[in-house]
Amino acid sequence: MNDLLSAGLILLLGFIGARALRIIHLPSVTAFLLVGIVIGPQVLGVVTPQIFGASEFISNLVLGLIAFGLGESFRFDKVRQGMKQVMWISIIAALGAWLLVSAALLVYFAIARLPLYPAIVLGAAAAATAPAATVLVIREYRAGGPVTDLLLKVVAIDDAWCLIISAVVIAVGNAMRADVFEWSIVFTGLGEIFGALLIGAVLGYVASRLSRFVRTNEELLIYMLGALLFNVGLSIALEISVLLSAMAMGFVMANTARENDRCFEVLRSVDTPLYIAFFIVSGAHLDFKLLYTLGIAGILYVLFRTAGKVWGARLGAKVSGAPRSAADWLGLSLTPQAGVALGVGLMAKASFPEYGDYIFTIIAATSVIFELAGPLLTKYSLVKAGEIARN
Amino acid sequence: MTAYLLAGILIGPRLLNFIPPNLMAASDFISNLVLGIIAFSLGANFKIEQLRTGGKPVLWISVLEAGCAWLVVTIVMVVYHLLSDLPVHPAFVLGAAAAATAPAATVMVIREYRASGPVTEMLLRVVAIDDAWCLIFAALAIAAANAMSMGVFNVRVLFGAFAEIFAALILGGVLGIVLYAAARFIRTVEEVLVVTVGSILLAVGLAMQLHLSPLLTNIAFGFIVANVVKDSDVFFVNLRKIDMVLFLGFFVLVGANLEIGLLPKVGVMGVLYIVFRVIGKFAGVRLGAYISRADAKVGRYLGWGLVPQAGVALGVALSAKTLYPTYGGIIFTTITATTVIYELIGPIAAKYGLRKAGEI
Repeated sequence: MNDLLSAGLILLLGFIGARALRIIHLPSVTAFLLVGIVIGPQVLGVVTPQIFGASEFISNLVLGLIAFGLGESFRFDKVRQGMKQVMWISIIAALGAWLLVSAALLVYFAIARLPLYPAIVLGAAAAATAPAATVLVIREYRAGGPVTDLLLKVVAIDDAWCLIISAVVIAVGNAMRADVFEWSIVFTGLGEIFGALLIGAVLGYVASRLSRFVRTNEELLIYMLGALLFNVGLSIALEISVLLSAMAMGFVMANTARENDRCFEVLRSVDTPLYIAFFIVSGAHLDFKLLYTLGIAGILYVLFRTAGKVWGARLGAKVSGAPRSAADWLGLSLTPQAGVALGVGLMAKASFPEYGDYIFTIIAATSVIFELAGPLLTKYSLVKAGEIARN
Repeated sequence: MTAYLLAGILIGPRLLNFIPPNLMAASDFISNLVLGIIAFSLGANFKIEQLRTGGKPVLWISVLEAGCAWLVVTIVMVVYHLLSDLPVHPAFVLGAAAAATAPAATVMVIREYRASGPVTEMLLRVVAIDDAWCLIFAALAIAAANAMSMGVFNVRVLFGAFAEIFAALILGGVLGIVLYAAARFIRTVEEVLVVTVGSILLAVGLAMQLHLSPLLTNIAFGFIVANVVKDSDVFFVNLRKIDMVLFLGFFVLVGANLEIGLLPKVGVMGVLYIVFRVIGKFAGVRLGAYISRADAKVGRYLGWGLVPQAGVALGVALSAKTLYPTYGGIIFTTITATTVIYELIGPIAAKYGLRKAGEI
């Protein structure tokens, strides 16, 4: 099988799969993941090694696109009234997931006489939310309302909290393991966040200024894809957060000029094939053998992360006076987990030679569960909140 | 467009080296996809009603421009090879390679300058089908060259070429009919884009898998879609939203892949090839337009749009290389070296011709 055939089948089977599963009311994202599992190397092997090799490129581009679009949801003119709610909900939901997972695992590890620091690192990974699946579910069902609005903003910024928590936690973990608290880890974490925001903002400003020279829609597409790829590539090269820099770029572009609306529009009109490729390749990457390694720690992680998100979001909504439906349903739609959590796992692997692998495996195994369950839960909670029209 | 090529040469591995190997490795994928998209859109230029009334000039012009380029280059090359005491049969293969026209550059120029009019319309159809003639001529030439070197004329090669063309057309046609049957399941604009890109990739991939011409397959595919599917315009319009990005990537990578180092190797043979191929194309267009009583402008200016040479000619060169280990090398070098030149002057020539015809 050659690469073009493989790519063609990925898109067409993605379309057919989404169409077929729509009959039983499953979101397209789930369909793409399932198609990916079926045509992936473990079953049919339709995805060629070269396409598999391109998955990092595709996923970075797609995360950039998603985060860039999320940046647009923070408009100065609309954002002010909701900002307090977004902050409270995102912080408490992230902290809630971290606290509950850490506490549950601390108890378990203490009973099982294992070292304790992996517990708090796993807690930090639990704080993150994967935005891609959530955004696509919202788009597919044209969800709209206060919960959707808050959800978009919360998934956009909670990665920042996750990065802060994980930097602190890895430093603390190091202290527990080696009795030295390395401030440099904390500063690197903060630098990663602020560097990303700064780079994204600067690039967004430049891109916004230069967009005057772009005339046709075709040129605009080339221009925006180029700018976004440049931003993503620069962030990777500087080892700062791709998500946050792309989000900052979107934020600045959305707020500096009204005409910039077309910049978001033009990307949105062509991004679907990329999303299909992204989720199908993600599905092909899902390693079900990992589920055997889940163990008690993994099960605790899944349960307490979900509980932490649900109760954290509820508490945050209550404290900040968000609408009732947000308190009830926002937390459940924050369950998807993917890249950012795996990033924490990778950091742990590098920092803790003895238990890094163990931490990474648990995160990867639980990601399999959350990737599959996440879109379904997001859709379910948005339906329950009354923000997806039933048809 | 010339700017993209130059940018590609500049940032390519020979000069600035901005393109990492991974991206260079993707150039095959991108170029096949882009050629598929171009061929698919070219297929849409053949509407059955129009062909019934105005199909004759396209056939005459394309057969004659391809045939004349082939004949003229072959004769010149035979003379040159005889004079310099070389075996004659590579000359036939060079002639066959001269018949092909690369559609990408021409289509791109037309798009960039929004050219339109009788010459543009005819040009789009001629570049679409002359690859079929090139395949036939190449098969003929290889069979003839074989006959000269071994004393047997192998008819099978010729039948093989016809079979290849028909199989490609049938494959494209079948895909078109499948899309026709599936069209009613496609609702949103996003789905149209996904299905169009997906099925073009599928068509190219299947053609490559079966060793058929991806160009002809997609032309047939586009032709069936344009003529059979209701509201088929959405497929082509949506494709046009994204293709510029791919074209840009394609031409920059073509530039980056251009082996400028080959230019000194063009030699006398290369110069002869370049000059007489163009002369053959121009003469053929004139003749074809005269015979079929096409618009006078068509006869005068269409030839300029047929200068670009790329993939199909290289394909002929590659098959020559595998057939004749001894002389294939010279043929291959000559064709790649002249392709470098044609790639650079092709777009400029196409633009010049269309401007002269008053269609830009």
